[in-house]
Amino acid sequence: MKRSVMAISLAAIVVVAALSLFLAMRHPITNATETQSPLLGKMAPAISAPLLGGGGTLNIKKDLGRVVVVNFWASWCGPCKTEAPELSTFAWQERNRGVDVVGVVFDDPLGAAQAFAARYGSLYPSVVDADGVIANRYGVLSPPTTFIINAKGIVAATLIGPISARQLEQAVARVKL
Amino acid sequence: MILTWLGRVALYVCFVGAVGGIIEQARALRHKRESRARWWALVAVVGIVGAIGVMEFALITHNFSLAYVAENNATFTPLLYSITGLWSALEGSLMLWVLLQSAITLGVLLYYRRDRSDAVVGWATIVLFAIGAFFTLLMMGPADPFLHNAAHVLQGAGPNALLQDNPLVAVHPPLLYLGFVGFSVPFAFAIGMLITGRVQDRWPLEQRRWTVLAWGSLSLGIVLGAWWSYQVLGWGGFWGWDPVENSALLPWLTATAYIHSVIVQDRRGLFRVWNLSLAIATFALTVLGTFFTRSGVLVSVHAFSSSTLGPLLIGLFFVVVLLGAGLLAWRGDRLRAPVGVDHPLSREGLFVANNILFVGFAIVVLLGTVFPLLYQAINGTQVTVGTPYFASVAAPVSVLLLLLMAIAPLVSWRSANARVLWDRMRVSAWSALVVVAVLLSVGVRRPAEVVAVFLSVLAAGAALRTLRGALVTAIRRGSWRGVVRSPTIGGMIVHVGVVILALGIVTSTTYVKRSEVTLASGQSTVVDGQLVKFTGFHNVKDALRTATQLKVSVDGHQLRPAVTTYNGRNGQTVGTPAIDSNLLRDVYVTFEAVGGNGSTSGAQVRNDLPRGSVVLGVTVEPLLAWLWLGGLIIGFGSALSFFRRRYDEGTT
Amino acid sequence: MKIARSFALWCVALVVVGAFAFALHPHSTSDNSRIAHLETLVRCPACDDLSVAVSNATSAIAVRHEIATKVHKGESDDQILTSIESVYGTSILLAPPTSGLGALLWIAPVLVVLLLVVSAIRLARRR
Repeated sequence: MKRSVMAISLAAIVVVAALSLFLAMRHPITNATETQSPLLGKMAPAISAPLLGGGGTLNIKKDLGRVVVVNFWASWCGPCKTEAPELSTFAWQERNRGVDVVGVVFDDPLGAAQAFAARYGSLYPSVVDADGVIANRYGVLSPPTTFIINAKGIVAATLIGPISARQLEQAVARVKL
Repeated sequence: MILTWLGRVALYVCFVGAVGGIIEQARALRHKRESRARWWALVAVVGIVGAIGVMEFALITHNFSLAYVAENNATFTPLLYSITGLWSALEGSLMLWVLLQSAITLGVLLYYRRDRSDAVVGWATIVLFAIGAFFTLLMMGPADPFLHNAAHVLQGAGPNALLQDNPLVAVHPPLLYLGFVGFSVPFAFAIGMLITGRVQDRWPLEQRRWTVLAWGSLSLGIVLGAWWSYQVLGWGGFWGWDPVENSALLPWLTATAYIHSVIVQDRRGLFRVWNLSLAIATFALTVLGTFFTRSGVLVSVHAFSSSTLGPLLIGLFFVVVLLGAGLLAWRGDRLRAPVGVDHPLSREGLFVANNILFVGFAIVVLLGTVFPLLYQAINGTQVTVGTPYFASVAAPVSVLLLLLMAIAPLVSWRSANARVLWDRMRVSAWSALVVVAVLLSVGVRRPAEVVAVFLSVLAAGAALRTLRGALVTAIRRGSWRGVVRSPTIGGMIVHVGVVILALGIVTSTTYVKRSEVTLASGQSTVVDGQLVKFTGFHNVKDALRTATQLKVSVDGHQLRPAVTTYNGRNGQTVGTPAIDSNLLRDVYVTFEAVGGNGSTSGAQVRNDLPRGSVVLGVTVEPLLAWLWLGGLIIGFGSALSFFRRRYDEGTT
Repeated sequence: MKIARSFALWCVALVVVGAFAFALHPHSTSDNSRIAHLETLVRCPACDDLSVAVSNATSAIAVRHEIATKVHKGESDDQILTSIESVYGTSILLAPPTSGLGALLWIAPVLVVLLLVVSAIRLARRR
């Protein structure tokens, strides 16, 4: 028992060192949960709306043949700030791999939404949802909500909450199968 | 730009003060002369006060040239919430931390200025300055609060809605931080004692004084946080085992263990090395807690998020543990007391049991908090560790702790005499049985409640008996000062507070009743014995917010549950619950939905209900107010405990 | 001996009261209490750590309906939790599954207490 304090202290240092190293390598978390949505397995409702930055209309029908990730966001939504860079990263890396990302502004004044998109440097187009018609069709009640539409135009997954690039990759990989 | 540079210069002054203090103190130690470090501590305090002054000025005058103000303040933000905006986001919260750290460092130096040539104080001073310097460095680098806002904005985003609808935002964070920062003092002294090898004489009890101060603030801070959550979050709950909440709980648990085991050191000189370890562990857990709160690696509604701060904070955590455990490894074995515990059921033995429970529970809570990270790293999938897990571990621990509270104050030191113990426990034991029998006969029968009440009466009995003893002694001697300085009075008052708190928690969670009622204007209904009446709508619109309030009366008292939309980019629509509270029960009312076709408020709409009718959520929780009452008593008891005399001072 | 007798008397009284408490305690395996219990074990999909029992988010209400339907259909607690888990993912349960790595979390408290008690006995004994 003579050297018990030393032994225990050294063991504690080793355990804490391992724990610290492990924690230091974690990334800030973003995670969305998949939910049941009445749209699963059905044709995705139409989205044809003016672009947020101006300059025309966007219609996802022209994306048939590619996977479309539709993300409903708002400038007043905290988790949307966390996921904005993740969506941009994902959009950029998948742009030549058959995946398009489209944002839909949810219940937000135009100026605020534009400021948000400018601030977070979004690398994908967003559309303005006048009167919340698109949100209604998709049954979105609070942002951030993300829908994954497969190449045939069917809704394949619905995720609620801030999404990460990694989660998107996994979800889209499942859809492409 | 002026504000940015003023603020930054003030931070640099604070940093210079801290570093100067380290150098001055190191030289004083080396040359064995008196240290002038307290002047450097003053410089540090002046620096951080200046920085805070600049930030508060910017917040109060809504000066958006600082990015921090543009993100957390708006022209219509009321004065109180502008002031509290200082700590509503990451960078500002660090300023509050450094303010308290610098103030406490100065306080400690002034309090011990007659001992400033003592090496223990010297080393402790260096540690305190170093901690302050670290956090200031964070603000001079990755977490700059004075970042200039390049855009010329006329309006800011405003604070987060949940941070501006209750005045408790003004007290909860400062008290919490006072607790966290306060734990750096026993840590610093532990380092000092280990380096100099002096773990006896007056320093352990001095350490205890500061720990009690920090512990009391932290306890009040946690209880106020629970009260605040209860008032605003909408489901009548007050604790979610959220990682940030657990971060505050972990140091509290080890600090409670420390407060108890240092009594044994005071009385019998035992557990010296163990107490040093607890002091080190408590501060280490505080740093780990700031890591969880500020790194964003764990999912939490309360977390600030920054990916650069994470590795730096975990680095500090590791350094703290390395320093403390390293010193223990070097010196620990030589410093141990030559005697041990005589009997497992003596007072010392029961304190050991107390420590096992608190430290064990802390380890389990820590494991539960990081488990999702471990699981994901190994298995790739995500899991949640929530209330069902933590509550199942907390329940048996609480039962055992109540049992200990019922027995330990009545047990003698060094020996265990069953007869004497029974003699002292008899009254409480019979009272407990009578109370339980009465409750069973009136229909209170849920096992959790019955067990809780039984143990609570026993525990309260032990505390009251001890209190009565101390008061009787003081009256006989005619010395009121003696009462305040009695070793047991503060602690026993805290125990009474804990018992009340525990009863509040168990009763309100066991007998909570949630229901939804639909009422048209003028209608009333009875929910769980409470008369609830809805009399109409009331709209509020001002610069800060737009709210639709419902005029509701519960048992004759007027309440205004509402749905409020705060203006500003950060503003959201939140439910504002209304509570009718008395010592017997709380009635918690929320505005769930409105009938009809549309609403101008943010409330949910139910088309199937007639226009003008509302859906109210009514939650009735018995004895909920006992939580806040218990917390208050705990705060009072710990304040009293600060004045406790050492065991061998004065008469016993 | 006088004191020992009063203690024995109290013990008898304790057993009597305890027996009453046990006999009278409400055991309801009624559907409603099962539903209420299950609701505390499932997380609201749109929240971080709230259970569906307390959250009023639309997704939470939907899950509550699911649980109620399944209980009325007669499924067991395990079946219900497993089916919800297969739809929403493992993170929807507020306590990790007891098999596999999750078992560690449930064994841990026991191990920790054992470890501490053994260390305490060895270190605190009179030398």
